[in-house]
Amino acid sequence: MAEIVVEKAIKRFGKFVAVDEVDLMVNDREFVVLLGPSGCGKTTLLRAIAGLGMLDEGRVMIGNRDVTYLPPKDRNISMVFQNYAIFPHMKVYDNIAFGLKMRKSPKEVVEERVQNAAKLLHIENMLDRYPGAMSGGQRQRVAVARAIAVESEVLLMDEPLSNLDALLRLEMRAELKSLLGRLKATTIYVTHDQIEALSMGDRIAVMKQGQILQFDNPTRVYDLPANQFVGSFIGNPPMNFLRGQVQRENGTVKVKIGDFHLSPSEEMVEPLQGYDGKFIFVGIRAENMETLASPAPDALAVMVEVVEPLGSQNLLTIRISEDILKVSTHPDFKVHAHETVYIRFPPAKIRWMDRDTGQAIAPSLDKVLA
Amino acid sequence: MKKFSWTPYLLLLPSLLYLVIFFAYPMYESFRLAFQKDSAILSLRDEPDENAELGGQIKLQTIVTILDRLQLEETLPNGRTRPIFWFQVEGEDIDGNMVTGWVNQKSVFIENRRTSETARVVAGEPTKEWTTDFAERMFNDYRFKRALITTLILIVLILPLQFTLAIIMGLIIQSRIRGSNIFLYIYAIPLGISDLASGILWYSIFTQRGFLNSFLDTVGLIDKPYIFIQASNREWMIAAIVLAEVWRATSIVMVIVVSGLQAISRDYMEAGEVFGATLWQRIHYIILPLLKPSLQVALILRTILAFQVFAVVVAITGGDVLTVLANETYRWYDPARYNNANVAAVYALFIMVLSLGISLFYLRAVRSQEEASKSV
Amino acid sequence: MTTIETPINTTPSRPSMEATAVDRKRAKRRHSIRRGSIYILACIIALWILLPIWLIGTMAFSTPEDVRNYPKHFAPVPASTETMDFFLNTDGIQRAARNSIVVAIITLILSTLLAIPAGYAIARYLFPGRDAIRLGILSVRAFPIVVLAVPLAITFIKWDMYDKVYSLALMHTALTLPTTILVVASVFAGVPYELEEAARIFGCTPAKAFWKVVLPLATPGIAASAILTFVLSWNEVFAAILLTLTNRTLPAQILYTLDKSGDPFKFAGGFFMLIPSLIFIFFIRRYLFNMYGQLNK
Repeated sequence: MAEIVVEKAIKRFGKFVAVDEVDLMVNDREFVVLLGPSGCGKTTLLRAIAGLGMLDEGRVMIGNRDVTYLPPKDRNISMVFQNYAIFPHMKVYDNIAFGLKMRKSPKEVVEERVQNAAKLLHIENMLDRYPGAMSGGQRQRVAVARAIAVESEVLLMDEPLSNLDALLRLEMRAELKSLLGRLKATTIYVTHDQIEALSMGDRIAVMKQGQILQFDNPTRVYDLPANQFVGSFIGNPPMNFLRGQVQRENGTVKVKIGDFHLSPSEEMVEPLQGYDGKFIFVGIRAENMETLASPAPDALAVMVEVVEPLGSQNLLTIRISEDILKVSTHPDFKVHAHETVYIRFPPAKIRWMDRDTGQAIAPSLDKVLA
Repeated sequence: MKKFSWTPYLLLLPSLLYLVIFFAYPMYESFRLAFQKDSAILSLRDEPDENAELGGQIKLQTIVTILDRLQLEETLPNGRTRPIFWFQVEGEDIDGNMVTGWVNQKSVFIENRRTSETARVVAGEPTKEWTTDFAERMFNDYRFKRALITTLILIVLILPLQFTLAIIMGLIIQSRIRGSNIFLYIYAIPLGISDLASGILWYSIFTQRGFLNSFLDTVGLIDKPYIFIQASNREWMIAAIVLAEVWRATSIVMVIVVSGLQAISRDYMEAGEVFGATLWQRIHYIILPLLKPSLQVALILRTILAFQVFAVVVAITGGDVLTVLANETYRWYDPARYNNANVAAVYALFIMVLSLGISLFYLRAVRSQEEASKSV
Repeated sequence: MTTIETPINTTPSRPSMEATAVDRKRAKRRHSIRRGSIYILACIIALWILLPIWLIGTMAFSTPEDVRNYPKHFAPVPASTETMDFFLNTDGIQRAARNSIVVAIITLILSTLLAIPAGYAIARYLFPGRDAIRLGILSVRAFPIVVLAVPLAITFIKWDMYDKVYSLALMHTALTLPTTILVVASVFAGVPYELEEAARIFGCTPAKAFWKVVLPLATPGIAASAILTFVLSWNEVFAAILLTLTNRTLPAQILYTLDKSGDPFKFAGGFFMLIPSLIFIFFIRRYLFNMYGQLNK
């Protein structure tokens, strides 16, 4: 059993607070991704769990053991580094065997586990080579093999794919996912690549400025971002945020975007009532809007500014007063710049955001359960 | 950042201690040698013992008569003992009165410790007093001005040549022609060559029966060897020293320049080319400004070293007809010549003050320039 | 010198085939003229560096008669080791050479042993006063030897350490230590910190990580720095001549007897002193910029 618990972790660099009172609970054998832009504290948090940088406050528990002040070697963890950190003066075999040898494992065990790890990563024919002449992808494999050979209960990965070129990254991503699925380790994986996060993690912790903004499974993080930042950080193009004014009209609520009136879904009526007369953000993803060629009563007429054919979709750029809206359409939908199209906003796909706090406006819990 | 840790300090401690012992202490000693001298007055003692009560005071060089003598033992710092004589003497004190008291053999000059009847007071109190005597002696020495001027002339001639050549070498290496690595190593060869060896090398070229004369003779330009190195030929001697120093010490500037050039992104150069800058314009407007920090470091380093130029000068000229500051330091120190460490210490300090002054001047000039460019 | 325009137009307007061919020829010629002139300049400078070494080598391996002769040959024909033999068998030279080697070896051992922890601390730790210490080390490196040699000589006389080989080695260690520390620091800085962290993750204590990972990777660089230290000590003459009297090192001995000796002795001595520096440049070539380049920072 190796669940990882981080409690009230604070890490400062001078005046800069890299990790700001973070709480994180990772279940045994779970795959958690720490996602965020550079400088958000994700790597710092990972290193604190690894024992490579001591926390200023708070504590770290691994499998019910307080490891806050333990050196890395006593934490029973293993790690894949961003630049691989393959020892250039050792053969591939000795690199993979390093952790086992340090733990003084018996020779047969070392041999067996090195061979197994090498086989899993398809590098069994490179064991006698030095890493100097190897390609980035091969080194990556050695780094992963070294990390899994020790069979520790916790596996930490610090942007392991970020130094590979795009094609190789795609290949390694799938391979890594299937490999890690077979392992029994609790894994924490740091990345700034949202696609990696969405495609690999059981749960994603989105971080910004030293704090975890949302910690949830990939679908929910994508569809129901907790706030404006998560919505715009995840997804390409980012979630659209239109300015709308809430208006109460005899028992119902409408949101006015220009001259257009939008009706929220049923469970949102109550929470939105409090915003009567105020401006809020209407958050909606580019692929969640319907684009029509001809007018419809519940569709907004807009002028297309730019059309970008992307192969699998066409991306339209539309200006609504001051806001820019990105809409993705089926590639067969023929439209040119400066033409008028009609857009329908399915109420169920809209995420409403408070304009001042940037936080999502959510229905009260009992309403959802009902 | 890690929590405060003593580890780095512990790791640095041995080196720092060592440097303090071998830099700070000699500096302090240097000042003492340069600006302190023995007191000019010797106090007599009431008993033949260093800790005895003090009696009358006698000026240095006073002749005293010996009334009595005693042979005692003295313990040295290393634990060994050696015999030491104490004399009871009589002489005129600073006010002209006759006084008597005991002195030991270190304070007086005496022909024969066992039989002589008189002695001369040569050492004063073990206490020191401040003096500018040694400094005055250095400044008034007829060779001081010549040494200073020669040193400055050498610096003024050597540094511009060195830096021009080093930048040319650097640009050649950086042009990435085939074999530029080989050129780099050839240009770097003099890095490990001592100033003495370089001096001897160039002496072999400039000496009367040397290679230069042999060459001129073979080509038919001269009939008999021309004597480049002689007292009336200062210009040629200086030229030989300049060539030897440029030959030897340009390499280090070159390496600094090349590593500075490597830090300059090729984009700048290519941008310059695209916008039509000629090579000279690129050097003037792109390379030199970007290289400035490296050049400053090299300049300070080379200037400080140039103030210490020594073995090259001695090897080429013998160090008598043409002299430099470091050579004077050695001459004053040398037990076989002036044997005066005090004046030597003044010379050493003088060289240090010059070096520090020049470095500060460079740094100040650089800073004021930077501030000027910032305010624009 | 001419410049070559980098082609920047991406949509070429197609001129006639002959015109492009002529242009290409002209561009090629301009290019090769430029290359050629760089080569010529490079070779002239190389000659300027190599010629004096060749000449002194010629002297060292000619007969003493040829050395004294005028005009001189420009190549060692007939070749002879007589001059070198004469130099090496001159009174005091072998002893001086031995002293030089002993001093240089003591210096390199002391200097390297002191510099490894210090260099590691500078390369790896951020601590209050780090920049001040770095700057201090950098500035003592530029400190005039002259200033130290005189008072140290006096002090050594006082402490009964004057004219001893080990005293000179202590002095040389002080002179080389700043350089050695900075070079070793840059060597350590070249070993990625991630490797050390990886070692610690996989079960090493910090000390063991240093021993198992950092030191093996830094060894070639440290060896190069040790060679540099050796050469610095081997070449040093001012302190050597002040601090020794009977136990002269080679440069001190040669300098001291310079005005009393003939050309064969001088030239052979000059060449003999060159040998370590020629070997030196071969061994340190990979670390050239570690040693001198980092002066910039």
